[in-house]
Amino acid sequence: MSRKKNLLGMLLVVPGVLFVVFFMLVPLFSLCLTSFFPQQSFSFSSYWGLFKDVYFQQVFMRSMRLSLLSTFVCALLGFPTAYYISKHSKHKGMMMAFAVFPMFTSPVIRSFSWMVILGKRGIVNNFLVAIGLFAKPQSLLYNEFSMTVGFVQLFLPQMILSLIGVMDNIPDDLTLAAGNLGAGRLRSFFEVVFPLSVSGLVTGSVLVFTGCMTAYTTPQLLGGADTRVLSTMVYQYAMSLRDWTQASVVAVVMIVVTMLVSSVFNTVSKKVNPIA
Amino acid sequence: MALLELSGITAGYDKNIILKDFNLSVEKGEFVSLLGSSGCGKTTCLRLIAGFSEPMAGTMTFDGKDYTHVPLHKRNFGFVFQSYALFPHLTVFDNVAFGLKMRKMDKETIRKEVMHMLEVVDLKGFENRFPREMSGGQRQRVALARALVIKPDLLMFDEPLSNLDAKLRVKMRVEIRRLQQELGFTAIYVTHDQEECFAISDKVAIMNKGVIEQMDTPSEIYNRPKTEFIARFVGFENFFDLERTGECTFKTKHGVTIRTEKDHAASATLKGCIRPGDVTVAPAGADLPNAISGKVMVSTFLGQHNQLNVATDIGEFVVSCDQTQVFPVGETVTLSLAANKIILID
Repeated sequence: MSRKKNLLGMLLVVPGVLFVVFFMLVPLFSLCLTSFFPQQSFSFSSYWGLFKDVYFQQVFMRSMRLSLLSTFVCALLGFPTAYYISKHSKHKGMMMAFAVFPMFTSPVIRSFSWMVILGKRGIVNNFLVAIGLFAKPQSLLYNEFSMTVGFVQLFLPQMILSLIGVMDNIPDDLTLAAGNLGAGRLRSFFEVVFPLSVSGLVTGSVLVFTGCMTAYTTPQLLGGADTRVLSTMVYQYAMSLRDWTQASVVAVVMIVVTMLVSSVFNTVSKKVNPIA
Repeated sequence: MALLELSGITAGYDKNIILKDFNLSVEKGEFVSLLGSSGCGKTTCLRLIAGFSEPMAGTMTFDGKDYTHVPLHKRNFGFVFQSYALFPHLTVFDNVAFGLKMRKMDKETIRKEVMHMLEVVDLKGFENRFPREMSGGQRQRVALARALVIKPDLLMFDEPLSNLDAKLRVKMRVEIRRLQQELGFTAIYVTHDQEECFAISDKVAIMNKGVIEQMDTPSEIYNRPKTEFIARFVGFENFFDLERTGECTFKTKHGVTIRTEKDHAASATLKGCIRPGDVTVAPAGADLPNAISGKVMVSTFLGQHNQLNVATDIGEFVVSCDQTQVFPVGETVTLSLAANKIILID
């Protein structure tokens, strides 16, 4: 009986497993393979070559900087928002809909909107000139600033949603208990609410960081030729230069970095909340 | 002056008033229970005393000082939650130490106090466990230790035993009572379990629809309920209208004379009530004091005794009679109400 059940259970898993194996694991494996066989034999040479390349170093650092900064800004903006929606809002459903609303629009359109907003004759520049902060319009586009703005707007909903999911599960009695035991509002927030929200913060950060690392349209449209990131670099190697080996190497580097950073986030969260 | 005094408290949410002009006073060292069915306002009252919410009107004084608007973290009151509300990310030790840390005590003192308290609640050796690794009874004791270790001026319990099984419930309530007598703290205990609150308290306040109907010692409430609500609550099932004819003598609206042992106030019309077990059933025509005749409507076997529902001129009576007495349905019987067991209420 239980054997039969097990067999049935395994059968149910088969389609999903097949899909993942053939459309993810195999391509991933072949991608890795490609990166280690620049010529006919196995070698690390393409990696060494890339790491020594100053241009790659610049792009790599820029990607890391932008992704980490955007993750940090998302956490900074998302935490209070999520806390408010989860614990204090009377119209939770509506507030959540607002938070998620940007996700209904494609990243392309959102990037174009930022181009309009941040452009030389955009509303931000008009405002800055009008209040006399600058004599003439500043270039706010095609730099790391505009890319960060684009990333934050793109991924903030994911941070908020991850946090709300976790905060909803913190019983109000816990903050009352902390207060009852003598903790002021701020203290009970840092002793109780924050540590218990960390798992959501980590999930959100991993989502945002991965999203920023791999996003293509946003950096392509809001960044320029001078602000290339890893994802646009892969495209450049593969499509413009037809150098598939080099593209694979960059792709593998991206995967490894994303995994490393995610595991760092996780380790930090275990320190703050050992049971998460 | 009482240690804790609530006067004229009105509380609720938006338009939903739960407590209206509510008064309560608790003496130092007393164990007071608030008893009532769900929705009667007992938990609202407790949370208000703890400072989890503020009243819309009225004042609360504690030890002679106005506490109405003192924020909760400055009250030094202990609170044991129904859900225990242990911090899941902290060990048992850190849970118990939380209040002491907030009071900025030094590490060594905290360690000593916490270990001592864990010994008191019989949880020595569990200090490094997390709450989720413990059973319900153990968590309950952690919650108790956490509330006790800060040496609260007042300890509050919000149905602390309702998540435990029956056996553990009895064990824990004895434990709580023992600790209270040993450490001498003042306690307010909220429950809907009558037996539990009679067993544990010095005084019981029975609440109904946001007001205290009666506050007395358990035996006083059990033997001398003051209102029909309380009487029903403690097992009186037979109620009848009486009209005064003299000292300790009354007559029913059908002219039957009823004598009682004790009198009550001087009102001309009042209500009598009696428990099913205090009514004697006899064959029709028997010459007994306070006799009322009636007809057996329902007879129910309840193990130790039979329960009869008897229709009389003054309403239906529920009585219990010995199994050796057999009164078939439809037979006319005489009920005799024990004079010393009739309680008079307004």
